[in-house]
Amino acid sequence: MSRYLYDGTAEGLLSAAARIIAEASDPEKAILVERENTLFEDGVFIGTDAVAAETLFNRLRQEAPDAAHTFYYFILAEKEGMETSLLHYLSMALRYGNRVNGNLADSAVRDVVTVSRKAQRELHRMKGLVRFEKLRDGAYLARMEPDHNILQPLAGHFSRRLRAEDWFIYDVRRRTAARWHSGTLQLGTIEQFTAPALSEEEMRIQALWQAFFKTIAIPDRKNPRLQKSNMPMKYWKYLTEKQGE
Amino acid sequence: MEILDKLQILSGAARYDASCASSGSRREGSSSGIGNTSQGGICHSWADDGRCISLLKILLSNDCIYDCAYCVNRATNPIPRASFSAREVVELTMEFYRRNYIEGLFLSSAVMQSPDQTMERMVGVAELLRTEERFGGYIHLKIIPGSSSALVRKAGLYADRISVNIELPSSESLKRLAPQKQKQAILEPMSLIGRQIRESFLERKTSRRAPRFAPAGQSTQMIIGASPESDFQILKLSQGLYRKMNLKRVYYSAFVPVNEDNRLPVLASPPLLREHRLYQADWLMRFYGFSAEEILSDDAPSLDETFDPKTSWALRHPEFFPVEINRADYAVLLRVPGIGVTSARRIVAARRFSVITPEGLKKIGVVMKRAKYFITCSGRPFEKIDRQPAMLKSTLLLGDGGDTAVNPPPKQLVLPGIFT
Ligand code: SF4
Repeated sequence: MSRYLYDGTAEGLLSAAARIIAEASDPEKAILVERENTLFEDGVFIGTDAVAAETLFNRLRQEAPDAAHTFYYFILAEKEGMETSLLHYLSMALRYGNRVNGNLADSAVRDVVTVSRKAQRELHRMKGLVRFEKLRDGAYLARMEPDHNILQPLAGHFSRRLRAEDWFIYDVRRRTAARWHSGTLQLGTIEQFTAPALSEEEMRIQALWQAFFKTIAIPDRKNPRLQKSNMPMKYWKYLTEKQGE
Repeated sequence: MEILDKLQILSGAARYDASCASSGSRREGSSSGIGNTSQGGICHSWADDGRCISLLKILLSNDCIYDCAYCVNRATNPIPRASFSAREVVELTMEFYRRNYIEGLFLSSAVMQSPDQTMERMVGVAELLRTEERFGGYIHLKIIPGSSSALVRKAGLYADRISVNIELPSSESLKRLAPQKQKQAILEPMSLIGRQIRESFLERKTSRRAPRFAPAGQSTQMIIGASPESDFQILKLSQGLYRKMNLKRVYYSAFVPVNEDNRLPVLASPPLLREHRLYQADWLMRFYGFSAEEILSDDAPSLDETFDPKTSWALRHPEFFPVEINRADYAVLLRVPGIGVTSARRIVAARRFSVITPEGLKKIGVVMKRAKYFITCSGRPFEKIDRQPAMLKSTLLLGDGGDTAVNPPPKQLVLPGIFT
């Protein structure tokens, strides 16, 4: 069984996978882990090769678009220690094409698909749960702390939905932000965040929404358990309707 | 009156309308406008009763000239009345939408001066949103029974979904409890909408520029338990609506007594379990290939309280089982209790790679404690049991056969979510 090392980046991971799939005798038995930089680490180090990484990803997109999709969200999940499963998954994806996701009896496929699905689920959830506040200059700001690194696809969603406004989405935990300004989307990091002043009407609109939220529930059917299972408390921090609860 | 007070009155009056779905429509935003709709539907919050909030659901007015027995807003009830102006609804919708509170608007109304006058004002709101604000989000309009077909057509051009409430499951009940509403006034717009949807669908096949008519389809709603119809009658009615009127969804709403009225039954509590079972049966008709006549019959016209309708059917049809997991067709797999649409699909996909083992079945997501009595895996049964329905019934009840016996079925309303 051969053991390989890579540098810990997403690109490095793809580069290593590309090399192993091309050269190893049985890639689905190989092991791939992140290099730890200890002196006597066991294994062959494969460095990042941007071209090889891109070639592999493009090939995946053509031959197994579903698997490319799964892979994209797997990376956003920022899950550590699953490189070997991913390597096996990629190798199988190139062999079977889109059908690979149906092979849930295989543990590598199952692990990758499960992790990827979790990221996709959170993205879907956040499309609903993100809350924008109007700032004094007329732009809108949303803050969030998702488990997965979903800023990019989430910003993509809002760039189709709120095209006519200027807005920011700020991932508080990762200190990354997306900015939509006169029709273009930018992604970047924010070192120092100071909350800007809200527009004058903001509190009035928030009060209206809070009132609606309270009134729309059927009083005799209170069900806090169902509410929490659909909308876990970890998301409440930035929910307008859950302020002051 | 302040807009906040109006909002409280007019969203409170709309809360019993069970239609929470905002799915089934894809509309791309325009470059200068705001908003789009997404195919899967998005929940933006979950209310204190656990239901998904995706639309700003309000009445334009609760000031009604009609006097339906089951309704809080009926003319003879001494309650606070309010009406929004079109501008107020537009402002609320836009401000909420920009902050990502909602997917769009669900507008209904009491009958103000006449059906046409009311419908005209509702359509006016949608028109303002679409043309002036260039709003591309979701709009659902309720059609007021008795409004002119010209207005119904206009509503369908602005809205993603339009719906006419059938209110009660038979015309006798309608006559008794909602005397000002005529059966024809409900059915006519329904079939008009059905025809328009079909036509626009066909036209758009030849020309992408043909106008879209209610792209998310039409739905309806009826109140359960305020009148004597059986579950079988109700399911047959729904089945007819799905087949003949081109309906997307029928919503069932457990009767909540809000008025003292000797025409209404006295219930200890709203029939929530019955509502839940009806949704399950409806689900079987829409996604599992069951007909109303398979689920119930004249001799057994009520849905079982103890078992969900699919398990009930399985218990009545021992000859259908066991089903062999590695061979059975998709449609056959769907009939097995414990196997849903997702797991049936996964079974079919996984079989292409290798024979499915009992271990693999669990991983696929089959509810084994239920399914094990009804399947074999490569010829091997999971449970040695007597397949007499009576025996099986008691095993399912006493053993670990299902959530039904161990945990009593939910008394709380659970709408079959749009994401399950
Ligand atoms: S017409 Fe509608 S609002 Fe008026 S009483 Fe009847 S159900 Fe209630």
